[in-house]
Amino acid sequence: MSSEKNAQKQATPEAGILRTAYRQIKAQLHPDVKKLMEQWSQLQDRYAADNYEFKVRDKTIKQPLTYKSLSGTYVRKVVLPKYKDWGDIVKWQLQENVPGEFPFTAGVFPLKREGEDPTRMFAGEGGPERTNKRFHYVSLGQPAKRLSTAFDSVTLYGEDPDHRPDIYGKVGNSGVSIATVDDAKKLYSGFDLCDAKTSVSMTINGPAPILLAFFMNAAIDQQCEKYIMEHGLADEVNKKIEAKYALSELPKYMGTDGKLIIPQKGALTGGLPEGNNGLGLRLLGLSGKDVLPAEIYQQIRAHAMATVRGTVQADILKEDQAQNTCIFSTEFALKLMGDVQQYFIEHKVQNFYSVSISGYHIAEAGANPVTQLAFTLANGFTYVEYYLSRGMHIDDFAPNLSFFFSNGMDPEYSVIGRVARRIWAKAMKYKYKANERSQKLKYHIQTSGRSLHAQEIDFNDIRTTLQALYAIYDNCNSLHTNAYDEAITTPTEESVRRAMAIQLIINRELGTAKNENPNQGSFLIEELTDLVEEAVLSEFNRISERGGVLGAMERMYQRNKIQEESLLYEHMKHTGELPLVGVNTFLNKQGSPTILPAEVIRSTRDEKEAQINALQAFQKRHKNQCKEKLKRLQEVALRNENIFEELMETVQYCSLGQITNALYAVGGKYRRNM
Amino acid sequence: MSEQNHLKVRIVTAASLFDGHDAAINIMRRILQSKGAEIIHLGHNRSVHEIVECAIEEDAHGIAITSYQGGHVEFFKYMKDLLDKSGCGHIKIFGGGGGTILPAEIEELHQYGISRIYSPDDGRKMGLEGMIQDVIDQCKIPAVNWRSTPYFKASEKWDTGNPLQETKDIRRIARAITLAEMEESFTDILQNITGAKKTSPPVVLGFTGTGGAGKSSVTDEVVRRFLNAYEDRTIAVVSVDPSKKKTGGALLGDRIRMNSISHPRAYMRSMATREDNSALSGYVKDALEICKVVGFDLVILESAGVGQSDASILDYCDVSMYVMTPEYGAPSQLEKINMLDYADVICINKFDKAGALDALHDIRKQYKRNHLLFSAKDEELPIVGTIAAQFNDAGINELFERLMEKIKEKTGVLMGDPIMHHTHTKDTSSKSQIIPPKRVRYLSEITETIQEYDQWANEQSALATKLYQLHGAIEILNSGETQA
Repeated sequence: MSSEKNAQKQATPEAGILRTAYRQIKAQLHPDVKKLMEQWSQLQDRYAADNYEFKVRDKTIKQPLTYKSLSGTYVRKVVLPKYKDWGDIVKWQLQENVPGEFPFTAGVFPLKREGEDPTRMFAGEGGPERTNKRFHYVSLGQPAKRLSTAFDSVTLYGEDPDHRPDIYGKVGNSGVSIATVDDAKKLYSGFDLCDAKTSVSMTINGPAPILLAFFMNAAIDQQCEKYIMEHGLADEVNKKIEAKYALSELPKYMGTDGKLIIPQKGALTGGLPEGNNGLGLRLLGLSGKDVLPAEIYQQIRAHAMATVRGTVQADILKEDQAQNTCIFSTEFALKLMGDVQQYFIEHKVQNFYSVSISGYHIAEAGANPVTQLAFTLANGFTYVEYYLSRGMHIDDFAPNLSFFFSNGMDPEYSVIGRVARRIWAKAMKYKYKANERSQKLKYHIQTSGRSLHAQEIDFNDIRTTLQALYAIYDNCNSLHTNAYDEAITTPTEESVRRAMAIQLIINRELGTAKNENPNQGSFLIEELTDLVEEAVLSEFNRISERGGVLGAMERMYQRNKIQEESLLYEHMKHTGELPLVGVNTFLNKQGSPTILPAEVIRSTRDEKEAQINALQAFQKRHKNQCKEKLKRLQEVALRNENIFEELMETVQYCSLGQITNALYAVGGKYRRNM
Repeated sequence: MSEQNHLKVRIVTAASLFDGHDAAINIMRRILQSKGAEIIHLGHNRSVHEIVECAIEEDAHGIAITSYQGGHVEFFKYMKDLLDKSGCGHIKIFGGGGGTILPAEIEELHQYGISRIYSPDDGRKMGLEGMIQDVIDQCKIPAVNWRSTPYFKASEKWDTGNPLQETKDIRRIARAITLAEMEESFTDILQNITGAKKTSPPVVLGFTGTGGAGKSSVTDEVVRRFLNAYEDRTIAVVSVDPSKKKTGGALLGDRIRMNSISHPRAYMRSMATREDNSALSGYVKDALEICKVVGFDLVILESAGVGQSDASILDYCDVSMYVMTPEYGAPSQLEKINMLDYADVICINKFDKAGALDALHDIRKQYKRNHLLFSAKDEELPIVGTIAAQFNDAGINELFERLMEKIKEKTGVLMGDPIMHHTHTKDTSSKSQIIPPKRVRYLSEITETIQEYDQWANEQSALATKLYQLHGAIEILNSGETQA
């Protein structure tokens, strides 16, 4: 530290002894630690300034470091400790540090992104048109379009919509029905998927690689469409389309006025939802490569891949442990995930997360927060080990990994991000020798659905608010707040608006949230961080004793542990040892009965029929190529080549169900366990 | 007739199609079992066709379904339709789905003939136990006049074609086995059964082995290969699980592992040992006999052994297989396994486990000793390492060929094209090792790395504190304050 030099000025015999001791001890300090000590005062100066400058990739960003309250108080975005003891300062830097510095306990970026709340807009119901309209409704006027997609259970299990009643009833319910690449194009139409402010998340796991191929093709074809319009090629392309399909065969977007939208002379006819400019609809039924020169198409595709931004959940380990939407044998599902990641590396897909390693469903199934965190991080490290074993370099794939946690009411949730970031960073840096970008764990939080109750549902927003506060204070990278009526029904526009208001009120109105490291320096938070980290590491050892994550899964260790914790919760809820206001205590005069929904939003018969018709038309259009493409796909799988690479082609001709069934024959179906 | 046995309630449990919520049905099936029912559990994500086919083949009294993913009205009605169409309207349907099933829909389903959909309110009023007791009471067959119950009267109308496009009348086969279990005559029900034409004498293949060896997975893989290899052959599986002595209930859990059994040419029946304490129920012989009479080409009997000395399966089958894993402990344990003396084929499943090759070596040695085959070549011995969990596993392929070969050798029955004499080329190995064996301690390594870092951070911090203190002391000395 700077005053060090003064200590060496003048000599007394005692001072001589002390100075020798000083030199000896200083020699034992690690050079990195010396550097931290030397640069401390610089760091203090940097954060005492009015503005903070930092680089993200090649851009220099300048952001103010203070916020002025109505009373004239300046609230600093990052406050440093006022420690004097160098040991305290060193310890703080080694275990906490400022946001954006190893071990990233307080956050992975120096400051939060400006002009972008970490809010995701969630939608998924009926067919692609209804969900597209909804996406435009919820994101209208928002500078950043952060869309989150829920699929119906038919899609989640990789099947096509069908008239068979056990399938029919589920088409377009609790999520959107997407069976073809054209459905995906309609779903995201009017959002530029390669715009830096657009980010799409897809909650899909078993058939994730196929849906991802739908999405990537939609993104590429949008860029082709932009090229076509910019180069005045619309008429020419229309002619090609008309030559290829009769009007009756052409896939269409059902407009809000009930009229079909089709490209005519370069323009789109019909009623698009407010906010939808029609981007993505001109090439329905076609791929850009059908209408553009190969070279141009390749260039557009490369650019689209390098810029497209979003997340696909695709976390198959947690599916086997908690959520059960597995369709392929676990081994084959993992191979598919590896293929996606390999493809991302080869095509420089750097803004898209190939997996969202999820604790949310583990928590929803009943796990406590420590178990949620331990299982999820352990799953994450399992993907790391698998990708490494396939010969991928850690720094080529680690930045494509993201995490997803639940935030409930338990005390441990206040530090879930801190502990996750710290463990990940230490392991990446020292165990895997990864670079700084790879050391940064980024995660999405959804408030706990399980913590919401069907009694006194008005109280649910209070729970969600507190959980959101945990998440924002913990510097999460992305946040979804649940609607209060989710415990009883599909949320309505009104309840979703209130849920979004929760985040906005914290971010925009709450004074302390103007600061970005409010947790640092709290004795309680520091102690909880240490305790939870220790508990997670103990759990790692227990999993390790069972042969790692896969070995433990074979014995159903994770499943059983989640189940036991769930039963404990139910038991304590039942006895009242775990007080739940309006549920088992503080009941109203009527005894706080369970609220039944007045009505439930279900997909209509017309929507289901439209989906089945669209699917059948798609299959008819491509019936000549489909068989051959599926055969090629199977051959690629049998030769153990990259299946995702082939899927990017297959999805242009085959539907979801056709593809999954072809893959079962070469990869095996999931075998259930008990 | 054994009074106890004809009262035994058999229920198929599952979660609806495209529905992974299996927590509730898992609790229900446990309580059902604890109340003395025999449970055939299918797990989550099951189609109506699969469930109905299972219920008919198992001659169940009821089906209990949870549905939390919507589409329940269509799902339950379709199930009722398919049962009625198959002449099995006597099989009762029960369901639940918490708040997702609205009161009006419950009413609609009851009107349609679904026995009972339980609502959250029912749950509060009746309690979990009460709901389960209600299911059992509705399924129970009375001891008197049992022949006039709808369950038994249903067979009077089983004259029209086979249900569910099956190649055989699975209703009559299932009912015959039920009657056998009741110690009643089953000859009438099998009169004029269709599809009983035989191309070759039936063969019984017996699989036994220790619990957790993956017997059901191996069986499933063998069934799959059989159905694929011989396109006009039929197969039946009789699977035996122990009854709980305390409750009389049983968890018949083999079907949950089976992906290939829902097939027009395949039949499966899960049996409990009932009051018998042995690995095989006394009625198993009848069940096998029934499967033979109706003309199944191959009948697989799958049974859990009750100990290393158990070789009772040999009395029932033409060709036998013992399924084990490399994890049996010390080689001396092998000397205690009777089946190593008698089994025609030995399957070492989970061959990707550590020590698999040592196990193969030890088991071959033991086999040679048992059979006095000291000069036999290793690869000619009928001992195969397999990984049933691996798709299209080379070991299972070899195992299947060896089994068919053994059948030809011992019974003279050739299932299809002549089997190439199979020589053992190389042991199966895990094709896609997700985590290489030498990396399997990765989580412990991470823990150690982090603990080392933390310790180092503490040490460095302690040094920095000392420096800070020394620095302070030196400053005091230098400032001359100590001389005052």
